[in-house]
Amino acid sequence: MYGWIWRHLPGNTWVRGLISLVLALAVVYALFQYVFPWAEPLLPFGDVTVDGEGTGAGAAR
Amino acid sequence: MAARTEQEERTEESAPPVRRGSRRPVATVVSFFGELLITAGLVLGLFVVYSLWWTNVLADREAGKQGDTVRGHWAEGRGPGELDTKDGIGFLHVPAMKNGEVLVKKGTDTETLNNGIAGYYTDPVKSALPSDAQGNFTLAAHRDGHGAKFHNIDKVRKGDAIVFETKDTWYVYKVYAELPETSKYNVDAIAPVPKESGVKKPGRYITLTTCTPVYTSKYRYIVWGELVRTEKVDSDRTKPAELR
Repeated sequence: MYGWIWRHLPGNTWVRGLISLVLALAVVYALFQYVFPWAEPLLPFGDVTVDGEGTGAGAAR
Repeated sequence: MAARTEQEERTEESAPPVRRGSRRPVATVVSFFGELLITAGLVLGLFVVYSLWWTNVLADREAGKQGDTVRGHWAEGRGPGELDTKDGIGFLHVPAMKNGEVLVKKGTDTETLNNGIAGYYTDPVKSALPSDAQGNFTLAAHRDGHGAKFHNIDKVRKGDAIVFETKDTWYVYKVYAELPETSKYNVDAIAPVPKESGVKKPGRYITLTTCTPVYTSKYRYIVWGELVRTEKVDSDRTKPAELR
């Protein structure tokens, strides 16, 4: 997978390295900005209240 | 003959990947699968970084902004009366938690708490306000991530001070009981008279709730306090002795 991407990047080793870095940063940005905020409420790590219902993410209400 | 083939193979290593892949399909599949696993591991690692660090950065920034708004309103002479509870009713100071001041707003829904603040309950049991003649002022905040305002709740001991600051009054509470682990269904913990803490008569109580053990939400951690005195805020906002 990564080997395939590397071979398909243009330019010499330095250019490829730079593009790889930019791609990696873009992926991390997308994860932090969109994927993790979406996934977090689905996981039962942040429920801090007591309530009668207490089912998964709903427990935080 | 065999040596020659090997040499041919070596020269072919720089050949187009299609040919290489078709010649070693198993190796390709295995390495692809391995790379997927490595990627999954990295993503999970990043998620931990996100949960425990990045959400704190965002929440602290947001809490600071919202806290400034409330203090700005106070300076202008507005709120936190009945009319202005939306922006926050005051600040919680728990010296034992060593986390400075925590803005308190109405409601304990995830979106509110994720801004690095504490919320007072509206559901399932409505919280009293500190200014009420009697009742239980019940609060919730995150243990980890999103500001982690109650992270050090386990450092709070019996006798420690909990101070709530409003525009014109310091409410000084003293911790008299704690419950290190209880079910998340234990709604009685935030009842107007929290019998579980050992009290029987109505009074002016404060209850802090968060999740426990750290990094999970399996149980709830409860700390109860009772009002010992109030102090008028002077023009310099001089802190009560407990915060000095």
